Amino acid sequence: MDFGLLEYGDGWGDELVLGLGITLGLAILAIVFGTAIGLFSALVERSKVRSLSGSVSAFNAVVRSLPELLIILFVYYGSSILMQAVLSPFGIEGFISISAFSAGVIALSLIHTSYASEVFRGAFAAVPTGPVEAARSLGLHPLQQFFLVQLPLAIRFAFPGLVNLSIVTLKTTPLVSAIGLQDLIRVAGDAGQNTREYLTFFILALVIYLLIAGLVMIAQFYLEKRLFQFMYARRS
Amino acid sequence: MLTDWDTLAGYFPVLLEGAATTLLLFFLTLVIGFIIALPVALARNSKNNYARAFGHSFIYFFRGAPLLAILFLTYYGLPQIPGVKESFVWFFIRDPFPVAVIALALNSSGFQAEIIAGALRNVPKGEVEAAQAAGFSRMFVFVHIAAPHAIRLGLRSFGNEAVLIIKGTAVVSFITIQDLISAANQVYFNTLDPISPLLIAGLFYLSLVFLLSRLFRKLEYRLDPRLRT
Repeated sequence: MDFGLLEYGDGWGDELVLGLGITLGLAILAIVFGTAIGLFSALVERSKVRSLSGSVSAFNAVVRSLPELLIILFVYYGSSILMQAVLSPFGIEGFISISAFSAGVIALSLIHTSYASEVFRGAFAAVPTGPVEAARSLGLHPLQQFFLVQLPLAIRFAFPGLVNLSIVTLKTTPLVSAIGLQDLIRVAGDAGQNTREYLTFFILALVIYLLIAGLVMIAQFYLEKRLFQFMYARRS
Repeated sequence: MLTDWDTLAGYFPVLLEGAATTLLLFFLTLVIGFIIALPVALARNSKNNYARAFGHSFIYFFRGAPLLAILFLTYYGLPQIPGVKESFVWFFIRDPFPVAVIALALNSSGFQAEIIAGALRNVPKGEVEAAQAAGFSRMFVFVHIAAPHAIRLGLRSFGNEAVLIIKGTAVVSFITIQDLISAANQVYFNTLDPISPLLIAGLFYLSLVFLLSRLFRKLEYRLDPRLRT
């Protein structure tokens, strides 16, 4: 294996780092947006307004059933058509499209949201009623009950599922190469095609993904110990 | 913007062929993945340290690696290994379809092995020990006691995995196999309308997933008497 290929400048090192940057950027943005909107979507699904909760549930179920590649393509092509349809009454003609990166972020966030909302639903269902009733009997306003009692507990219950989901989203990012994004896998493929050393670059990309997933799992282990401290707390 | 129905109907055969390919890939992946996963699951649960290490690393690798990475590695990387092009394996790998099945099956086997291993671990030890104490052979205990209980424990997760396999078949469009999504893309290239074929493909995936979920629910209902009360 010729490590000269990996050098900066002459070799493929800098392109690989760029690809890794795009992959990580895509994944982090999708995870952050997806988790936030997923929390919101789980709350809507719990609300008493049947039309809202029903439509959100149905939408999430559909997004969970479709292949990720389909959703990415749909968002990419559909967004330009949508924007053209919306803007043409204002007299703006011509071809409008959003960047592949934005389309990738939107699509991945959508997918992450639908799964995250399932995780949050389970988490809120797992919150024990004891502390919530205690808060209510203390006279706390429902909003206070929610933010001070239910939400912190739910986040702790949701944590392992969310971390698992983040790893899955990281593994979904290679699909955005279908809409032209130069993510890690695409760069590895180009490098391999250029030098005919496919094995080197794909194994490298694989190792990088496994390393990141491993790091995330180690971080999860230590974070969980701290987050779940309250369950092991003893009266002194 | 949206193509008229007649032109679209003319492309139905293309889409149907893509759907057939997707279904074929799904079945092959499910079955071959299961065949690979079974020994790996047994290894992961075994008392032998080496077997357990192998099981753990196999599952970690194939669950942690992106499907597309595994696919590209097999498709582009394998022919590069010296000696492969002359061997009998080359005959098999030259066509992208077997490569796709291998990659998809390996990836799915990682998840399936974890499900099978977990289900077998959660079978109550008491039942197994009682059967062994009654004098039944190890094979009998596995086939008649442990396996049925494990199947009931793992059925829900296995159903989820089946849905994941359907969604995973989408990646084969990256190595020029005509599955449903690449068929939809082809229709787009011909009609310059991306949305209609993608919508039709989406409907097909939705119905497939819906049918599969219904099937697994019915299976769960039939296998678990507690749900029938």
